[in-house]
Amino acid sequence: MKNLNRYGYFFIAPFWLVFLVFSIYPVALTFYYSFTNYTGSGEAQLVGLANYKRLLTDTYFVEAFFNTWKIWGVNFVLQMGLALILAMIFSDMRVKLKGIAFFRAIFYLPNLITISSVALLFGILLDWQHGSLNMMLMKLGLISDPINWLNEPTSAQLSISLILTWMWFGHSFIVVMAGVSGISKDYYEAALIDGANRWQTFSKITIPLLKPILLYIMITSLIGGLQLFDLPMLLTDGIGSPDGSLNTMVLYLYNQAFKYNNYGYAAAVAYGLFVITLIFSAFIFKGMYGKERKQPRQV
Amino acid sequence: MKRKLSIFLVSILLVGLFAGCSSDSKTSGNGKKDVDLRIWSFTDELKKPIKTFEEKNGVKVELTIVPIADYPTKLKPVLESGVGAPDVFTGEIAFLKQWVDAGYWENLSEKPYNADKLSDKYVPYVFDLGKDKNGDVRALSWQTTPGGIYYKRSIAKEVLGTDDPTQVGEMMSSMDKVFEVADKMKEKGYSMFPDEGAIRWFTQGDNPQPWVNDKNELQLTDEKMEYMDYSKKLRDNQYTALAPEWSPSWFEGMDKPIKVKEGGKEKETQVFSYVLPTWGLHSVLKTNVKESVGDWAVTSGPSPYFWGGTWLGVYNKSDNKELAYKFVKMMTQDDEFLTSWSKETGDVLSYLPVTETIKDDFSDKFLGGQNNYQFFLDQSTKITPGIVTKYDQQLDTLYGNAVQQYVTGKKSKKEAIKEFYQKAQNAYPDIKVPKK
Repeated sequence: MKNLNRYGYFFIAPFWLVFLVFSIYPVALTFYYSFTNYTGSGEAQLVGLANYKRLLTDTYFVEAFFNTWKIWGVNFVLQMGLALILAMIFSDMRVKLKGIAFFRAIFYLPNLITISSVALLFGILLDWQHGSLNMMLMKLGLISDPINWLNEPTSAQLSISLILTWMWFGHSFIVVMAGVSGISKDYYEAALIDGANRWQTFSKITIPLLKPILLYIMITSLIGGLQLFDLPMLLTDGIGSPDGSLNTMVLYLYNQAFKYNNYGYAAAVAYGLFVITLIFSAFIFKGMYGKERKQPRQV
Repeated sequence: MKRKLSIFLVSILLVGLFAGCSSDSKTSGNGKKDVDLRIWSFTDELKKPIKTFEEKNGVKVELTIVPIADYPTKLKPVLESGVGAPDVFTGEIAFLKQWVDAGYWENLSEKPYNADKLSDKYVPYVFDLGKDKNGDVRALSWQTTPGGIYYKRSIAKEVLGTDDPTQVGEMMSSMDKVFEVADKMKEKGYSMFPDEGAIRWFTQGDNPQPWVNDKNELQLTDEKMEYMDYSKKLRDNQYTALAPEWSPSWFEGMDKPIKVKEGGKEKETQVFSYVLPTWGLHSVLKTNVKESVGDWAVTSGPSPYFWGGTWLGVYNKSDNKELAYKFVKMMTQDDEFLTSWSKETGDVLSYLPVTETIKDDFSDKFLGGQNNYQFFLDQSTKITPGIVTKYDQQLDTLYGNAVQQYVTGKKSKKEAIKEFYQKAQNAYPDIKVPKK
């Protein structure tokens, strides 16, 4: 009898126990609740697909979907742009910037601040009557009346996007730099000898070789972005003001569950969110790797 | 050897995994022996009463304080399962109505508590709020939290010619009169309120109705709709200092002039009054005001209102209900304890036998010697009981949101109300919303 592998199961048991209790069980329970009208206390009654039907016709959920995309999209473009530009500068063999460790730390710092502090900070900076931003703009004579940043749908969404960019570009930068340092110097030297300019080196060597890293950043950022909750919750009144523009999908889920006690419906919203995340992750994956399979690499 | 080592390692892993759980159950297991009574609350307010209770009865009480934001979510699973549950727990007005109906609190109308007998000993609205949908008492409260308008005496004297609370109250006894005062304030460069949100407590007007009635219908009374216009008027006529509640400028305005920018101009203005309840005096004004101590007074607004409040009751699955109710009794019906408590903290009590004897010799230095106790007691008896519903907290927020849309000129009144109806329906699919 060979029972060499039996102990292996014991070794993985702790992980599985934790995983079952804290991940699988809640996920399954949420799935069950999405078919009920559970209100948080008392018994849950099965209501079939009613919650999902409601979800498909819920204008507030659709609004939340587009809000989330708008806020995440603007943030992602800015964040990646900034990270790539910085990576380009710092990895340039001709410039050879010093103090990269220092800048890396500085860029990453905003990411270490807890969200509630960030929200408080920007709440004060963006304040209508007494905010530093308005005071500065008025001193410079750019505006005559203070702008109520968090009371206009567009500026409120843009504010969130910019805050997210500020918080996350350092993180992306570090990951991109890690990717860049993994690219052999030979390519760059060869490019230098062949007389390639900066943009050519960047777009023809760095970007293609960074593809897996970029894909990784994009997917993690997308998943994080679709779960956007804390900033919109803390910056305004927590139900998506102004005019529903900060109503994101997870905020909507949270309010349905914990404010309005529609746990059943909130569970359906959670599964809606899950399906959306799944679809978009699959899209990105396909878009990034699909083409490569069709065209076998030429050596 | 290998085998033994493996078993050893696995057991270390497993022990490590369950370490968290086991140490927890140990303390609660021991707790049952060492502690006679366990209490959960969301403030440290009960610390002193518990000490008194321990000394009086020779028992040991354990108080668990959970911050208000997490309180309902942490308490609910404990009450559902009964594991590690408290014997006594408090409830805040925001979720009180939900809880009295959820059945976690022991029915105090039954024997041996017979709380129904106490009904005429309490401020009516306070006693009424502790009842469930069947009219059984589930929770009691020691305090009452009616509100008023706190104003600065010096400004009142300068603009209105008097700082006497009764006379100033008379000048603000209706919304129209409030606007008259506001106009006078503006002439002299003062702001009536910090911002238009201040008057939300007077939305009921003289027609207090619950948000959702017995037939499960959403009721937006004419008075509540008028409140939209009042808010807009405050904003449009520049009667306020544009300092939203709890914002840094809101606090700043209590003590010194604040800057307001409007229409391309910047002006400095002093805020005349703050609309706050009993606890606003002790935990908001007194903690933030340094210079104008003694320059304040409190008076009534267009209609009586209350804001906040803490109730407490006995957990219905507690093993120690007798002692638990003894604590509730001390907090809510003990003449000796309540008298000293009230004198120490200035808390306005809802237990009338005690308030009757102590109300006359109160005076607060912060309010220039005014007897605010008497004032608040008068206010509390004017509050209509039975209009609080479990929907209030959220519907108030949603309606406040609609009002804000109208005030800032983003939506017309009709559109704002329509959106309020839609959002209310979305939040509470069960209630009937007028189709307009």
